[in-house]
Amino acid sequence: LSICFRTVEPLEYYRRFLKENCRPDGRELGEFRATTVNIGKYLFGIIIMGGGSITTADGSALVKLGNTTVICGIKAELAAPAVDSANKGYIVPNVELPSLCSTRFRSGPPGEEAQAASQFIADMIENSQMIAKEDLCIANGKLAWVLYCDIICLDYDGNILDASAFALLAALKNVQLPSVIINEETGLSEVNLKQKNPLIIRKHPVATSFAIFDDTLLIVDPTAEEEDLATGTVTIVTDDEDRLCSVHKPGGSPLTGAKLQDCITRAITRHKEIKKLIDKVIKSIKPK
Amino acid sequence: MPLDPRRVRGPEESQPPELWAAAGEVPVEEDGAGEEEKDAAPRDPCDLRPLFARAGLLSQAEGSAYVELGGGTKVLCAAWGPREAAEPGAAAPAGTGRLLCEFRRAPFAGRGARWRPGSASEREAEREAAAALREALEPAVRLARYPRARLAVSALLLQDGGSALAAAISAAALALADAGVEMYDLAVGCALCRSPGPAAAWMLQPGEPEERRAVARLTVALLPALNQVSAVLGGGQGSSPDAWAQALRLGLDGCHRLYPVLRQSLLRAARRRDAAAAAAATATTAVATA
Repeated sequence: LSICFRTVEPLEYYRRFLKENCRPDGRELGEFRATTVNIGKYLFGIIIMGGGSITTADGSALVKLGNTTVICGIKAELAAPAVDSANKGYIVPNVELPSLCSTRFRSGPPGEEAQAASQFIADMIENSQMIAKEDLCIANGKLAWVLYCDIICLDYDGNILDASAFALLAALKNVQLPSVIINEETGLSEVNLKQKNPLIIRKHPVATSFAIFDDTLLIVDPTAEEEDLATGTVTIVTDDEDRLCSVHKPGGSPLTGAKLQDCITRAITRHKEIKKLIDKVIKSIKPK
Repeated sequence: MPLDPRRVRGPEESQPPELWAAAGEVPVEEDGAGEEEKDAAPRDPCDLRPLFARAGLLSQAEGSAYVELGGGTKVLCAAWGPREAAEPGAAAPAGTGRLLCEFRRAPFAGRGARWRPGSASEREAEREAAAALREALEPAVRLARYPRARLAVSALLLQDGGSALAAAISAAALALADAGVEMYDLAVGCALCRSPGPAAAWMLQPGEPEERRAVARLTVALLPALNQVSAVLGGGQGSSPDAWAQALRLGLDGCHRLYPVLRQSLLRAARRRDAAAAAAATATTAVATA
């Protein structure tokens, strides 16, 4: 009977749970789903794959937030820097929501949500200064690194922004770039694939998403169903020193200042949890 | 990279660092393909790489499967059961259903340069692979049972370590079976390739370096229980018809050997689903009585 009610009147069904300060999947309003991450070659938590990460990519990570599964693969290539910023490299994020992950997406060029997510990730990288583009430059005006960050959602159950941001961070942490020098005499670049250096990651931004229900109630880490029923969403990006990087609130119901402050506080706590998780995973990978 | 307004802009052109690597410094793959450099112990051509298959792992798709081959090929596939056909007046014969296949490659899946998503060459390659997938799967599905409906299959290649299409065929068949679509049998895919040289033999399930150097490639799809071949795709040069026939037989033998692994994964997925349903049922009855 409860299943019929849920299909016919989903909002009422949810309201009954929210009145008791909990959600249908048993979580509290401020509780996140089980987060697991798989970096490098080692399994961590309950992961779908039999083997490890993507060996064709320079860095990769698989993140599961409840059912939402996102994989990020980073490919590093060389290019000439842009004319107007001769000392900067490129970071090109690309979020893909293939038809595989949910029936709501059709195959073909990126839809609205994928484009919005890609732009959000690009903004997050830029605003938090996660990687200084100057660090990616090898020779001024001649050669720079391009980091193509491809984030593919494998299973869409809400909260794609958090999972993508986390996957990106985890993947960047295990990128190893070969050393490149420009031969003074010939002017050609020489790549030494045996000598690899990790990326310099300056900041570790973490995104935390909230869904707004009925203009008043805020729940953290919404599932796809909750996102559909919500009247608005808010995503807060915080960085290492408990500082606010950006607030992403694309329309939706208005929020009071006090509620926004609550969100920020919760995001700061979440940042610490994620940071601890990443550190634990990185430490568990033995150096090659 | 031409301007794609729907994606974040990057540089016009970029090259992978391997292009400028000093000669002789090509990185050895850690997946045991160092043998190509030593060449002392050539691979047994009938050797099947270990295959890992798991069904029923995506929550949003009705059926899903993940197949991983020993050399690193990783394919994830999702399938959806009968839906109303999108265009009611389309050319499809009214009597049977339609199988729509989609094949996508992740940009980071290839060794070397990144595959540009959305470029014409990429779309072409994906369309070809999707057509091949449909050819291999159609005989296995009982389309006559789903008149005027469409079944959708979507495959995603996460890493290409050789034999990608064969792995995709197996994963797609598993996903369809996991979705509860009525099928005559599971389609099992197997790839072969032949290296250059007059005396080279056909090799089963080539790895990525072997596939790159090959002069002839072949992918076969078999319905093992019915012992019927559903698709043969391939081409190349330098073999007599007898050699091709022998290669075909080798491929079919490989498919037969892979079949039990796929069936096992399907059984395990069904058991897991039953256990989960039973646990959910007891939980709801407990809540109802409480």
